[in-house]
Amino acid sequence: MENLHLFGVGIGLGLIVIGAGLGIGRLAAAAAEGIARQPEASDKITGAVNLPLFLLEGVAILGEVFALLIVLMK
Amino acid sequence: MSTAAEQSQTAGGSVLDQVGNNIIHHVSNSSLDHPFIQLPHIWGIDLSVSKHVLMLWIVAVLVACSVIIPIRKYLKQDKPQPKGWMNVIEAVVKFIRDSIVQPNVGSKHVDTWAPLILTFFFFILFANGIGLIPVFDLLGVLNRFLFQVPATNDHNFINLLLHGGVTATGNFNVTAGLSTITFFAIMVAGSRTHGFINHWKNLAPRGLAWPVYIILIPIEIIGMFVKPFALTMRLAANMTGGHIAILAILSFMAIFADMFDSTVTGISVALFSIPMATAISGLEIIVVLVQAYVFTLLSSVFIGMAINVHH
Repeated sequence: MENLHLFGVGIGLGLIVIGAGLGIGRLAAAAAEGIARQPEASDKITGAVNLPLFLLEGVAILGEVFALLIVLMK
Repeated sequence: MSTAAEQSQTAGGSVLDQVGNNIIHHVSNSSLDHPFIQLPHIWGIDLSVSKHVLMLWIVAVLVACSVIIPIRKYLKQDKPQPKGWMNVIEAVVKFIRDSIVQPNVGSKHVDTWAPLILTFFFFILFANGIGLIPVFDLLGVLNRFLFQVPATNDHNFINLLLHGGVTATGNFNVTAGLSTITFFAIMVAGSRTHGFINHWKNLAPRGLAWPVYIILIPIEIIGMFVKPFALTMRLAANMTGGHIAILAILSFMAIFADMFDSTVTGISVALFSIPMATAISGLEIIVVLVQAYVFTLLSSVFIGMAINVHH
């Protein structure tokens, strides 16, 4: 029973990946659709997509760092 | 789950433990017991030069030699006409100024903040990139087989160089230092444009009912600290994570060979894990570029938020 924290970290990492994957997927889908409809605005769309993409990545990385902390510090 | 854990606990020096220690050893700073240059403690801070400090110096020298000195030389010419390496620098500088700093900070303040953002970019790019080049490991191989220095000799300089990881930006302290600069740059930017008092007033939107402020002001103050904290974590975790992934995939060889107790298994796993590690190294080249870009982009977005307040 003393290794249960590893179990939780495994589930948590999976949830992080699901969340980040969904977020990035939705962003990429919306960007691709926008560029397909209006190819001349592709620079602006890329710029608008970049910032939320990196903020999302930051949240996912934070989650992974805390998962690592749970493993290391127990 | 329990059997593997019990085995590693009872055996002590099993392969899994050795692999874990090896991975940690290759991404963390060198041990404080064996610094390159032993310096005294000042106000309780150990000033000894460790591996990551040495890497910071190397990066500083590289940036000075390949960016600062060529630009100085170029600007001294009578008719500045870029050629060769200057073309590369000029393209990068122009990209950062025109598509990162200018849209976020605004054309009025772009010349004030572009130097800081450019410094961030070149420093982080070089520090990230040098982590992918196994210079010291090559020196270690030469040292072991050409000069016949045993690995246990702790007074040999090249052996000291082998301890610890080479990516200085993979250390949370380094990135915390970088984002502390961003933290103060945000305040300086806001204070220069709006005045010191108005900058703090701009943190929360005006004209709301007073009960809203009870919730809003603490959130904005926390947000002020979360921005640089997220910058710190993003850069360091990305740089450490890629290296851990490469090392873990390479370690599969040792783990599987030990698990099935046969060399053939280890070699056949190598057929999978070496191409995989190569592919991840290729991915790392993109990550190195993207993370330098992200740090500069987010820094300029935060500075721009303090200058152009939209409420």
